[in-house]
Amino acid sequence: MGYIALLIFLFILIGLALVFVFVNKLLGPKSSDALQDYPYECGVPLYDKSAQSTFHQGYYLLGLLLLLFDIEAAFLFPWTVVYRYLGIFGFIEMALFILILTYGLVYAWRKGALNWQFEEESL
Amino acid sequence: MEGFVAWLIITLIKILVILAVVLGVGAYLTLLERKVAAHIQRRPGPMVVGWHGLLQPLADGLKLLTKEDLFPRYGNKFLYNLALVMALVPATLVFAVIPFGPEFELFGIKIKPMLTDVNIGILLVFALGSMAVFSIALAGWASNSKYALIGSMRKAGIIVSYEVVITFAVMGPIILAGTLSTYDIVQKQIDQKLWYIWLQPIAFVVYMFAMLAETGRVPFDVQEAEAELVTGFTVEYGGMKFGLFPLVEWYIEVLSLSAIAVVLFLGGWSPINIPFLGFLDPLFFLGPLSPFVWFILKVSLLFLFVLWLHWTLPRYRIDQIAETAWKVMLPLTFVNLVFTAIIAPLIWR
Repeated sequence: MGYIALLIFLFILIGLALVFVFVNKLLGPKSSDALQDYPYECGVPLYDKSAQSTFHQGYYLLGLLLLLFDIEAAFLFPWTVVYRYLGIFGFIEMALFILILTYGLVYAWRKGALNWQFEEESL
Repeated sequence: MEGFVAWLIITLIKILVILAVVLGVGAYLTLLERKVAAHIQRRPGPMVVGWHGLLQPLADGLKLLTKEDLFPRYGNKFLYNLALVMALVPATLVFAVIPFGPEFELFGIKIKPMLTDVNIGILLVFALGSMAVFSIALAGWASNSKYALIGSMRKAGIIVSYEVVITFAVMGPIILAGTLSTYDIVQKQIDQKLWYIWLQPIAFVVYMFAMLAETGRVPFDVQEAEAELVTGFTVEYGGMKFGLFPLVEWYIEVLSLSAIAVVLFLGGWSPINIPFLGFLDPLFFLGPLSPFVWFILKVSLLFLFVLWLHWTLPRYRIDQIAETAWKVMLPLTFVNLVFTAIIAPLIWR
């Protein structure tokens, strides 16, 4: 039952979001200017039509780290809920898990993966 | 059958109330923010539309509604609109599991003042919270504009860093409560006569940092950085589409994360707590309304705290923010987790 309520809410929200998407098309004025849909740039023509090819590789590394640690967080969530029934066994298991996790973090740290990847200064 | 109809009507009323609260309060928070910002900077803020600018959000909304619908010519239209849906839907859906007060009885029906009390409430909140990264990455990518892409990449980088931190930070209170249901977590704090902030100060501080980072508030607002990136990933959006992103990011998400902070650390709807002794309620004269007032009061105070930081602090660089997340916050949460696991049996009794 609880999840059906969530589902109803989800559909209502998607409907609302679609209203937000299309409301300006219905209510807004329509003018025709050759450059009105030109991507934002500071007063000069674009050098490159696509901006999608150039972004900083440091973000890629952050994505990798997220994969590593978020999956482990997902493993820990069930443990946090049932911890009171597991007793000392649960504690040792978890301590080992966190130890391995910490080792992973230290490894990434020593490898320099946690440092921000500055671009090489080239002149 | 009749039970189902009654359930459906109650559910629809709850959804209406949540939507009214989220969107109505969200719109009026823009006015509040401008007023607070103005008074921090010693100027009056909006004064013209209505008494002390009370009708300003309506005027802003009308203005946004009557703008032309523009689309950047090299962009991807489907993803461009999908980003909008992905921004609004998960952020508002979080309010389904936020308990506004204790269970009460109306016309013989027991009603919990939350849409649905699922037993994975907190997990749901953070699953939906991580969806925010998709909307932001898509918004920048689909606009196909340099400023938008840089802004969205920065924000996505910050969110993925602090996503890990916030997940580990909330594990402390969950261990103490032994449940993921938001309603039960508050109930446990009342039963144990203990706000979890007293035992989890580190987790609370880390949570607040992560909350500022995830919602793009100062000092972590590099995705907007109006001096260098204009407005970051929303630069190619116009009209109501533009209005929606700040509404979701700065108001709805801050509200929902404040409410979750109140649920996890500040005892939800319970009055002032003296650890292990009991509760002190200076608002007892409100009777059955007092828990709701307490909840709203706590959330408002947290929200005002965020506003206060926003208009006081300078901005960090992206490399400083990401390195703080991994090198300071994450080890702190590990230590906090082990510490909590050790002291938890003392709290359960």
